[in-house]
This record gives sequence, C-alpha cells and structure tokens, in this order.
Amino acid sequence: MAQVSIGSLSDFPEGTPTFAEADGTRLCIVRVGDTVHAICDDCPHAEASLSEGDFIAEDMAVECPLHGSAFNLESGDPDAPPATEAVQVFPVTIDGDDVLVEV
Amino acid sequence: MAGRAAAVTLRRVGYQGEIVLVGDETTPPYDRPPLSKSVIVGTADLDKVIKPALETYAEDGIDLRLGVAVTAADATARTATLSDGAEVAWDALVIATGCAPREVPIPGLDKPGVFRITRMDEALAIQAVLASGPKRLAIIGGGFIGMEAATAAVAHGHTATVIEAAPEPMARPLGLAVAEHVLRWATDRGVEVLAGVGVEEVLGDDRASGVKLANGEIIDADLVICAIGQVPRLGLAQLLGCAEEAGGVRVDASMQTSVEGVYAVGDIAAFPSKWADEDRIRIEHAAVAIGHGQTAAEHIATGEGLFEDLPSFWSDQGDITLNMVGVARPEDEIVWRGDRDLPACTAFYLRDGVLRAAMSVGDMKTLRGVRKLFAAGVSPSADQLADPDVDLAALAAAG
Ligand SMILES: Cc1cc2nc3c(=O)[nH]c(=O)nc-3n(C[C@H](O)[C@H](O)[C@H](O)COP(=O)(O)OP(=O)(O)OC[C@H]3O[C@@H](n4cnc5c(N)ncnc54)[C@H](O)[C@@H]3O)c2cc1C
Repeated sequence: MAQVSIGSLSDFPEGTPTFAEADGTRLCIVRVGDTVHAICDDCPHAEASLSEGDFIAEDMAVECPLHGSAFNLESGDPDAPPATEAVQVFPVTIDGDDVLVEV
Repeated sequence: MAGRAAAVTLRRVGYQGEIVLVGDETTPPYDRPPLSKSVIVGTADLDKVIKPALETYAEDGIDLRLGVAVTAADATARTATLSDGAEVAWDALVIATGCAPREVPIPGLDKPGVFRITRMDEALAIQAVLASGPKRLAIIGGGFIGMEAATAAVAHGHTATVIEAAPEPMARPLGLAVAEHVLRWATDRGVEVLAGVGVEEVLGDDRASGVKLANGEIIDADLVICAIGQVPRLGLAQLLGCAEEAGGVRVDASMQTSVEGVYAVGDIAAFPSKWADEDRIRIEHAAVAIGHGQTAAEHIATGEGLFEDLPSFWSDQGDITLNMVGVARPEDEIVWRGDRDLPACTAFYLRDGVLRAAMSVGDMKTLRGVRKLFAAGVSPSADQLADPDVDLAALAAAG
C-alpha cells in the first residue's frame, strides 16, 4: 500500500464526483466538507464511470450515471440493483492542502 | 448468474460445508447481459464480464465443474449425476438452469452465419464476424435482446434490420405507448425495423445470405441473428418432481420448491412477490436472478432469508439506457413526466390508479424517487407524477 498524492483540496469541488488516477488506479473522489472520500471509479455492475454520476448527499453516496445504483462512500455498498457488489473504498489522508490516497 | 450468486453468497454468509457449482458451459460463470451489448461489438472487458476471477472459487473452497451437465438427480437419495459420470451427494440442491433458446420451425436456421446470443461462445462468434469490417445484420426478433444487438451494431458502423412478427416490438414488456417511443429512438439511430411480418426462411447456399419474409421481401445480410426468445429449462426440476406454476418451478419466498431441500432460482423460478398481482411470477432479469441466488444461499446457511426485492431491470440500446422498476403490465395506464423524449423522460405505469412500475431514460433522480415511493408504500396521483416540479423522494419521505 502506497500513499499517493492526487492533488490539492481545491482540485475537488465540494459534493461533485471528480475523476482522479493514483498509480494507475481509477478513482472517483468526492469532497464533503473537510473530508475527502475515494472509491473505485469503475461501476462493478457494467461499464460506467462513477465520477460522471451525481453525489446523493442524504445517502452519502455516488449514483452510477447509467443504471442508478448508488454506492455509499464509506462502505462502498450499493443501495439498489442492478449492482450487487460493493466498490472498493480507499483510505484518504489530508496533509496540509495535499490529498493522499492509499492504493 | 443465479447459481453463481448462490455459491458465492453461501461463503459470504458463513456456510462451512462443501459447495459444488456445476455448469455445462465451458466459460467460467459470467454476466449474461453484456452479450447482446458490448460483447458482440468487441468493446467489453471480458475480465469484468467473466467474474469473479477463476482463482476466487479455489480461495472460497467452491468446487467449480465446468463443461459438465447435471443429467439426473434423486430427491430421496439426495444425489446428482453428472455427464462425466461423477455423482455428487447434496444436503441442498439449487437449480439455476436458466432458459434455452426457443426452437422455431424457420428453415435454414442451421446454416453457418446464423447466430444466437444466449451464451458467451455465441456472442464471441458474432464478435469475430463483426470485427472484420462493416456488416449487414438481419435480426429475427424485436425483443430487448434483438433491439440491443441492433442498436449496438449500428453504433459501431454496421447496418441492422430487425424483423418482428408481432405488430409492435417490445409492447409486451413496456406497453404499447412506451414501446413506440423506444422503437423510434432505435430507428432514429439507423436501425431498420420491420414489424408485423414473419421470417419464412433463411436464404443462402452454404452460408446465410439473408432472409425471406412472409410477404416475399428479401433482406440481404452478412449474418443473421436469431433472438426470438427463450423457454425455461425445467427438465431437472421435473425429474425431481417439483411442482410447476406460471411456466416455471413453483417456489416459496425462500426459493424452496415443493421438494424439501431443493431450491429453484433465476429465470426458471415462479416466486411470490408483493409487487405483483399474480400468486407467483416468473421474471427473466439479471438483478432478480442474483437476488434469488442470494436468498436461497441465506436460507440454506441460516434457515432464514426471504426474497422481497422490488423487481427491476435495465436495457442498454446503444447510447440509450432504459431503467425499469416494478412490475408493469401491457394494459397499465401510462403517465409521462418530461416530454416523452430523449434525453430524459419517465413513464409511470398505473393500475387502478396506483403506481406499479416506472421506466426511466436519463432521469436518475426520478428513478431514485420512485424506488423511495415503493419502499414507503406511497402512490402519488397521476398529476403529481406528471409534474416535474414535484419531488417524488420528498413525497415518499412525507409518507
Ligand atoms: C443476451 C442477453 C441479454 C440480457 N440482458 C439483460 C439485461 O440487460 N438486463 C437484465 O436484467 N437481464 C438481462 N438478461 C437476462 C439475464 O441474463 C437472465 O435473467 C439471467 O442470466 C438468469 O440467470 P439464471 O441463473 O436463471 O440463468 P443463466 O444465467 O442462463 O444460467 C443458467 C446456466 O445453467 C446452465 N445449465 C442449464 N442446464 C444445465 C444442466 N443440466 N447442467 C449444468 N448446467 C446447466 C446453462 O448453460 C447456463 O450456463 C439478458 C439475457 C441474455 C441472454
């Protein structure tokens, strides 16, 4: 496991899923207040990029733009079909202004 | 898909006993829906379609037997006989035999150049033909699978003619009013659809060169895809004496058949659902199949587990994705939200004034609201459903 910098806090607008890549791992990043969440960007159900989906604040989840399963940012679990598997969740640390993801 | 879900879930819920997963295909278990979408046009990442990774079975202690069929089973001795001569003893038996392609008496379907899309090997054979340059496809059958294959093909530079014997393709699953729109989106994208006419024969000497229609018209084609539907494979369940219903194997909410210790899941299962009017329904869709497999596994491992999921499915037709939740009937009243067109609209299905299903394109927010309405047991009025300013999730929360 390596901590990889994916940019600074200002690169990740509040509540907007944003794509990032860390050592070849495709990530969907969402900043909520002072916390930054990182999940795998590839929907486990079909070929879709979660960072193109919407952030659902009340569920703390990112919704897949294609078929609508929403993945919880903390557990990775989908809330509804068609996805039945969780996405991988990556630990994030913030060092000053630097966002580091453990991949 | 349902069998794989059962095997994988058994371990997840802590089942300690032996698990044998038997499949007559040589491809390891995979997601079937991509076959008619990304696999035939070669854009699928097969490592993501064929899943979990093969080594997972060994790690999970699942004894995977591929290319082997279960030829017989005995409910008293609790054994299953495999086509390689092996015998497997079981405490619980999960039957997930899915559907077989429907046989139709169209002459020439056995010619080279005629394909089905029910299995991975068949989809890869189509992919190999399409990979060599633009082709003309004649697709027999205008159901979801035929329309998906057609829209995927035209999006990748091929031409496709869909021939559907019924007057309105997709009218049975979607209802006429909705099917008309979906059909137009496909024809707008270049798919040619000939409806209300049957195929008389597949033409060609040593290889399919097209099809001849009942009205005498000839459609030239480089390949013919037969997507005229499927029938549940009930043989094994019948051998065991399982009761049948609704064209499938009758199960209770734990997916158990009338024979103790024998479960039926996926396309073959006729199951009880509070979302349907019928006593038992059979649904040929992926998320339902996976949910069935998970429920059977839980019940085997823990003695608990009920399938209560809201049925849902999706269909990707080129760049259009249909998402449907609930159980619709062709005669349901349709209420639209949005201007009935792309990029975003939703059709609600009402029966006796009550919301029963919704089909949404490009409108995830409404779809999410509909799920919340079903979960809360709230059915808004037709006016509320039609009004894009009415927040369905808020109505659900208000109860
Ligand atoms: C081309 C295509 C596209 C689809 N697209 C969608 C979609 O977009 N959305 C959606 O919701 N659903 C879709 N579906 C439906 C979905 O794939 C099925 O509902 C689902 O696969 C059913 O799962 P199952 O386990 O019941 O059957 P299957 O997945 O068909 O698995 C049954 C397996 O059992 C094997 N088998 C049969 N008999 C025996 C035996 N005696 N011994 C050993 N093995 C045996 C079969 O070869 C097969 O591998 C699609 C289906 C197809 C064919």
